[in-house]
Amino acid sequence: MFRMLLWKEWKENLWKLCFCAAASLAFTIMLFRIRITPDLTNCIAISVVQMFAIPIVYALDIFSGEMTNRTIHLLFKIPVPRKQTFFSKYLISAAGILLIFLVTGLLMEAMPGGREATPLFLLRMNWCAGTAAIVLFTWFCAFGCQTRTEAASLVAISAVFVAWAIIFFWAMVCEVHWARHITPYYLIRIDAPVSPWTILGQIPGLALVLSVACGRYADIRRYL
Amino acid sequence: MRISGIVHQQICQLKWHLLACFGLIMVLPVEEAIVNLQTGDGFYSAGGAAFTALFAPLLAGLIACANVQADLNEKRYIFWRSKPAGIKLLMALKFVIGLIAALAVLACPAVFSIVTSILSGGFHFNELVAPNVWALALTFLLMPIMTYSLCFACNVIVRNTARSWLIGMFLACSLLILPLMLPLDVKDVVTDVVFGISGFYLPMMLTASAVAFVFALLAAQHDWHLQTSLKGMLWATAALVFALMILLANQVANIKVLDEQHVGDSWHNDLNRIEDRIIYRDRTYVDIDDDRISLTDMKGADPNTSPLPEMLLPRELKDCNDSTYPDFGDRMFHETADGIYNYTIHRYYLTELFERPNRQPLKRRNYKSIVLNTDKLIGKSFRPVCDLDLSDCLTDQKDRAWMGMRLIDNMIVVRVNNSVVVVNAKDPSKLKRIETKLDVLKKLRFFHTEDPNRFAIPLLPIESINLENRVKFSIDLRYSYPGMYNSSMVDIHNGVISLLRVSEKNISRFVVTNWDNENIYCTLAETRPFTPLEHLTAAPYSWRTLVRNGRLYHYHQENLMVFDIRPGHRIRKLGHFVRMQHDFHDIAPLNDGRILLSTTNYREMNEYNEPKAYLYLLENPG
Repeated sequence: MFRMLLWKEWKENLWKLCFCAAASLAFTIMLFRIRITPDLTNCIAISVVQMFAIPIVYALDIFSGEMTNRTIHLLFKIPVPRKQTFFSKYLISAAGILLIFLVTGLLMEAMPGGREATPLFLLRMNWCAGTAAIVLFTWFCAFGCQTRTEAASLVAISAVFVAWAIIFFWAMVCEVHWARHITPYYLIRIDAPVSPWTILGQIPGLALVLSVACGRYADIRRYL
Repeated sequence: MRISGIVHQQICQLKWHLLACFGLIMVLPVEEAIVNLQTGDGFYSAGGAAFTALFAPLLAGLIACANVQADLNEKRYIFWRSKPAGIKLLMALKFVIGLIAALAVLACPAVFSIVTSILSGGFHFNELVAPNVWALALTFLLMPIMTYSLCFACNVIVRNTARSWLIGMFLACSLLILPLMLPLDVKDVVTDVVFGISGFYLPMMLTASAVAFVFALLAAQHDWHLQTSLKGMLWATAALVFALMILLANQVANIKVLDEQHVGDSWHNDLNRIEDRIIYRDRTYVDIDDDRISLTDMKGADPNTSPLPEMLLPRELKDCNDSTYPDFGDRMFHETADGIYNYTIHRYYLTELFERPNRQPLKRRNYKSIVLNTDKLIGKSFRPVCDLDLSDCLTDQKDRAWMGMRLIDNMIVVRVNNSVVVVNAKDPSKLKRIETKLDVLKKLRFFHTEDPNRFAIPLLPIESINLENRVKFSIDLRYSYPGMYNSSMVDIHNGVISLLRVSEKNISRFVVTNWDNENIYCTLAETRPFTPLEHLTAAPYSWRTLVRNGRLYHYHQENLMVFDIRPGHRIRKLGHFVRMQHDFHDIAPLNDGRILLSTTNYREMNEYNEPKAYLYLLENPG
């Protein structure tokens, strides 16, 4: 049944994958061909925009869409644990985001062919942005899993962006090193490669957030 | 309708949204003030408050959407629609009340910043009244008004908060970006208040706000409703953004790169010309085969087989400094049957202190000698073979040495201050004066400002060169055209002589209508204004401008523009090339229209602090 849920979510969210992938590839090809700005600048610009835009696209109706279309009643009547429903949505969204960054990163690395940046640098930069996007989306799930409208989802994910920005700003200004390392925005660094431990260090936090999100999603029954 | 009741109702409807926006917008300023207090600087905010101004337009749009949605969601909409309420008055009141409330909330960071700065004693009142502060304040006031109006109108017609906010923001961004791409000739009516380029935005933002407001009233009255789907909206938005970027790229990146080569590291990467061949860094020929650049070393006369000329060392005056014209890296080459030569003028001077009454002494140059040198390429280096003393051209002006030089039909025309000398260079190793005219250029004033529509330029009184070249050289001298030794700002096409002037705002083409023994008469033929995007990158005056074969090449720092300036056609931009982080050092248009471009990348330096040098072969932009 879980596989069928995954299949259902995959079909429903396929258009988001196609849209984000098409837009990412189109802008990547355009910017890397016209070369107004250096390759590194193009990579950072595309990665940062992707880091914010792709989670927004997925977040807008991944949970609130069921409410708006009134299909949530039917979904909750299916004899599967709520957490499976939640994780089917989360896994498909996360897989879609990862796939988009995978393809974009490979294209960014292939198109310039090492003419300006060192090999694999652009790929690494883009994939770090993809990791940050996954982290931001995961945090959104904790706050946005009970939203009923697209507007509420937009507000929830915007709040996640702003909150992490405030923490990042505070960590940079006040030089709180541990807080810097847990911020998703810290993953996008030009001066030095991000340590794998920084990325792996996100996992415990994400696991906790996911458990909270799953619990909140399961509690939706009370509010229907 | 009780207006006071409506006002009260609207405020109550919006109170939570306004509080949320207030909290959101005050977080950074308060956080900054707390951090400043902890570091002992006092409780005040400056940068944080300024940073929140970037979010003000976004939040204004959100408040607008919330304002509309409060009454236009499905159930309430049916309710008040069935009541005898004046729709236009109601919507107008909603608009105004929401706008005032939004602006009041969005002004809080600025007020907080000013108040805390005054209280902490770090505020200077005269900073507040500076014109650029008012200009910025005006811009940041109008932008939230515009986004509020657009989002209000969108929500009336779409009736979905998130989507109408996104559409409204997209429209606002498009309105802000589009003027950068269109060649609009709008005069700055408020140039004393706002920045030059943003002078266009003042009427645009006001107009857009007014149009959006009127549209919202009409949409509410006629019950217009646009059904949207998230999928369709996202695809449409992405397509429009892509189209906008293509339009932008077409404005500034429409010359194709045929070949690109890294050619070592150096600060001096000049392109010079001998006949049809291009010379790079004075030592290398640049050959183009099948759109590929190749470099071959220049080889001069064989020092073993050719008789070595008498070694003439530059005449070095005792204790004198030497400055050359053209500057280091630029050359005026001349190829004869005997070999390759280049010409340089050496200016020998002493630096003296000039005493001034009641003021600090001024350092001034005292020129002692002006010498025209010929160097011949022997083997792989240039060696001096001849010199010609031109010191008499200084006349009574010893404190300056304005130069100009051009090779015309085996004759070198040299300008030294107000004097002109014509030298026979048929045999470059034996230069001879043909004509000398001292102090004939005193009437020639050198202009760097905008020309009137009709004006006259003094014609050089030299008979040794033909009239067409006299006219060209006279015009180039008038504007002290820096590259006159191998290029010009004058175009001669089908017998029509055109003078091209590039300023910060436009390109002007003046046509030489007639001339007599003393003057050349010019009339303005056409002006082509720069778009705001081009204006940002255009160089002032005519520096780094080159006219060749009916085209004007204008390059500066990171960008190159090519214009078709042929008479009988409107001035039209053929191509625009931008490469950021590169400094465009020199260009050499080829006969077939392709362009050779020499650049340095000042972000990539070697251990000797020399930048990477590149040669680009660009496609013919025609």
